[in-house]
Amino acid sequence: MAVRAPAAAPVTLPRVLGPIRPRARWQELRLLALVAGALAVGSLSLGTTVTGRFGLQDVRGLAVYLGALLVAHVAQVLAGRRTDQVLLPAVAMLGGISLLLMERLPQDLVVQHFFGSSYGLADVQLIWLVGAIAVATILGIVVRSDSWLRRYKYTWAAAGVGLLLLTFVLGTEINGQRLTLEFGPISGQPSELLKVILVVFLAGYLSENRALLVEQDTRVGPLRLPPLPYLAPMVAMWAIALGIVVVQRDLGAALLFFGVFLALIYAATGRLSLVLIGLVLFLLGSAAMANLFEHVRTRIDVWLDPFADPLGTGYQVIQALHAFARGGLLGVGLGAGLPEVGGRPPIPEIHTDFPFAALGEELGIVGLVAILGIYLVIVQRGLRIGVAAADDFRSLLAIGLALVIGIQAFIIAAGNLKVLPLTGVTLPFISYGGSSLLANGLVVGLLLALSDKGVEPPPPPGTQSRWRRLGRSGAA
Amino acid sequence: MIGSEGTRRPLAGSTFHVALALSVAFAVLAGAAGYWGVIRSAELVRAPDDAAVIAAARTVPRGRILDRSGTVLARNKADANGELYRVYAGPAISQVVGYASRQYGEAGLERAYDAELSGLAGDPLTDAFAKFGTNRYDPKDLTLSISYDLQKAAVSALGKHRGAVVMLDPRTGEVLALASTPTYNASTIANPATSQAAFAALQDDPAQPLLPRATLGRYVPGSVFKIVTAIAGLGSGAITPATTYKQQPGAEKNGLLLEGYRVHDGHHPQTGSKLLDLVGATEVSCNIWYALTGLRTGGADLVDYAERMGFGSAIPFDLPTAVSQVTNGDGKEPGGFVDDVELANAAYGQAETFVTPLQMALVAATVANDGELMRPRLVASMTGQRSGTRTIGSQSMGRVIPVADAEAIKAAMVQAVEGPLGRLFTTGAKVSGVTTAGKSGTAELGGSGEPHSWFIGFAPADNPTVAIAVLVEQAGRGGEVAAPIAGRLMTRYLQGGQ
Repeated sequence: MAVRAPAAAPVTLPRVLGPIRPRARWQELRLLALVAGALAVGSLSLGTTVTGRFGLQDVRGLAVYLGALLVAHVAQVLAGRRTDQVLLPAVAMLGGISLLLMERLPQDLVVQHFFGSSYGLADVQLIWLVGAIAVATILGIVVRSDSWLRRYKYTWAAAGVGLLLLTFVLGTEINGQRLTLEFGPISGQPSELLKVILVVFLAGYLSENRALLVEQDTRVGPLRLPPLPYLAPMVAMWAIALGIVVVQRDLGAALLFFGVFLALIYAATGRLSLVLIGLVLFLLGSAAMANLFEHVRTRIDVWLDPFADPLGTGYQVIQALHAFARGGLLGVGLGAGLPEVGGRPPIPEIHTDFPFAALGEELGIVGLVAILGIYLVIVQRGLRIGVAAADDFRSLLAIGLALVIGIQAFIIAAGNLKVLPLTGVTLPFISYGGSSLLANGLVVGLLLALSDKGVEPPPPPGTQSRWRRLGRSGAA
Repeated sequence: MIGSEGTRRPLAGSTFHVALALSVAFAVLAGAAGYWGVIRSAELVRAPDDAAVIAAARTVPRGRILDRSGTVLARNKADANGELYRVYAGPAISQVVGYASRQYGEAGLERAYDAELSGLAGDPLTDAFAKFGTNRYDPKDLTLSISYDLQKAAVSALGKHRGAVVMLDPRTGEVLALASTPTYNASTIANPATSQAAFAALQDDPAQPLLPRATLGRYVPGSVFKIVTAIAGLGSGAITPATTYKQQPGAEKNGLLLEGYRVHDGHHPQTGSKLLDLVGATEVSCNIWYALTGLRTGGADLVDYAERMGFGSAIPFDLPTAVSQVTNGDGKEPGGFVDDVELANAAYGQAETFVTPLQMALVAATVANDGELMRPRLVASMTGQRSGTRTIGSQSMGRVIPVADAEAIKAAMVQAVEGPLGRLFTTGAKVSGVTTAGKSGTAELGGSGEPHSWFIGFAPADNPTVAIAVLVEQAGRGGEVAAPIAGRLMTRYLQGGQ
């Protein structure tokens, strides 16, 4: 597994970093300059609207953020890897929009205390944004081998389930949902990490059994179905995750896991029948849950007709729709929308669940389409990385990671727009929240690492099957 | 795409399908954004629960409401959050101005002129550009025709009684006072700190202080309705001012036999067996003469002339009004009367006849303004910072009767206040030094309770500048309670230099 140091490399750092041979990333730099320009204009627009004087909003915050981007860029240049140059600017644009949004919302929506001083919404978000960029950059530079993911997929899966169980038992309840795990001053939502673990596991399992899943059939009478027994461990993993998530009332995560699960199975096998079976199971499961659980039924009722209870359960959704309506085609401008009632923003939980509606009001449909476009760019880069990867595991890992971002963005945007029932997942890179930002930074970091064709070659098939056998016997 | 194990099954095809599906899903999102942001936009942004509408109501200073001399009747005050709420001049004006409350919405002029006061109303073109300006809204100040001094005088004249006073300028239709009692303190409803308790208490109050009796209260009119009958009789040509009825003196003693039913009267022995004409019958308020006049006029014309003055539909006014009626209208006889008995009783205001005090003020104003009725109005002008001042002119509701007929009724009403016998019925209605016209009413309610006390009139009789209707619920005879209130208020108005 040792990295062979090229003969020309004069300096050899510890093996994890490899030799330093700077490589310019002009495309990334140009795109980052574009991002910096756009954010400066946005900050100017926001500052001028809010203060009534011509000037930037929160110069320090913008400087810190753009500085972090520059450091990330320079670090990657110095590392000299041939990794993707579009992902970081795309993510940086979304993060910058997030920063502007958090700066214009009431700062007391979130107050955190670090080392004796307290920080408001935008300050905390800035810390997490810089953290996410750091995670992405460091992973993109450091990760040169995937064996730590490939080999231990069942260990990862077990760790993920364990984390969830731990949350369920020890977690802190917020708004009737037990999603948060607290250790002293540090708290986090494990389901954000779990989505990455899920993709790692699915990629590992599907890559090993892909040939079987594609070629073999289970015959039930005249029907030719995929080989169901080979799906069993995977479905079990999915069911455990889903079950816990449903018990924890985190419907958004359940929907996300399910969407990624189906999309990845289709990408791996190309068999529509698997997706159809999954959809039927999903509809049956949804109907059963709607009958069993009050909170699921409420969500669906609100989705079907939020105006039935405009001041109660439907309030949030209706106010979000009003925000889109006020924004119209061009939006009212950064800082000019979101009229406050009683000192509060018009939509409850606007910074975590409804940033899409907030941006819809201030940037209009034009802005929303641009933001959706940036998500599609990220997905497209991820899928490209996946298709070009050296083996099935890396392919499916990259495709899965890209889909996590895309599907999660779709779920929450669709919830804001009343296309789907509202579920509380975050809008990647835009919603407030450390867990979400760091987990998505992890996703981007892995995609960056996978995009480098110079990484360690995949292990030969023999070793892989040994691990597969071990893995399967371990899971049985 | 060549892995170390040799030829790999390509992923690109199925991955492309996934990408396509996700792109379609994102296109659906863009479509949904278009649906809410464009197609449903106009409807949602004008809804009262839109945050911008609510925020504007709390942060954009609502237009003030002023009386005719500039006294501020409604203004704004900021609460601890810097959000605005309404403060009113006093309880006397509450029934007119109403309230604007965050919890309970609006009432009165605050409701009727909400769009103008909040500045949300405007023409679409100006509004489209206002979106880019700093002051998006153009709230308007309302200047009323009401005199707050007179309004306070009217409320205190009614005192602890339940009742209403309507005073207007018959020449222009400008309402000078529009009092209803009991009233309430609208500031307590508008103030968010006291709103809930105050509103609950007012709703539970059996005296119904929230009811604007002058415009929404409907009462048996009694003898004040005789003026309507006189207008219909003269206007239709059924009678002349000299018309007398042979059977009238006898019927006063024995009752008027109609379809087996006797219409009784008998409270004016002073005239003995004398044949009465319009002036004489009005002076002593002869029910028999008016019953016979109603029968001669006919139900159709009686209802028709009443409707010319606003009966039968809501009066076009700045505030909501209840519909006054001559009859229920479900009978088969002309005009909707059940039979001649109902018509005869209606002619002197004691059948299925129900009127608002505002309606009766319009009847008095019609006579005062030589037979032409002016549309009643409260708002004299509106002033916006951007749109400037707009004065609202007077408007005719049409001629009800010719001048000569109006003069005849005027003479009869003067006799009812100033005549030797009329004085007995309208004690205190006369404005000293000014010829005063009027008619009292004592509306029997059929039960054991005291009758409603009514008075309608105007002054000066030769060139009227004020018309009045006074109603006092279950206070006794018209001449004893309502007439003196009317006299005092007209005196105050005419001598106060207003």
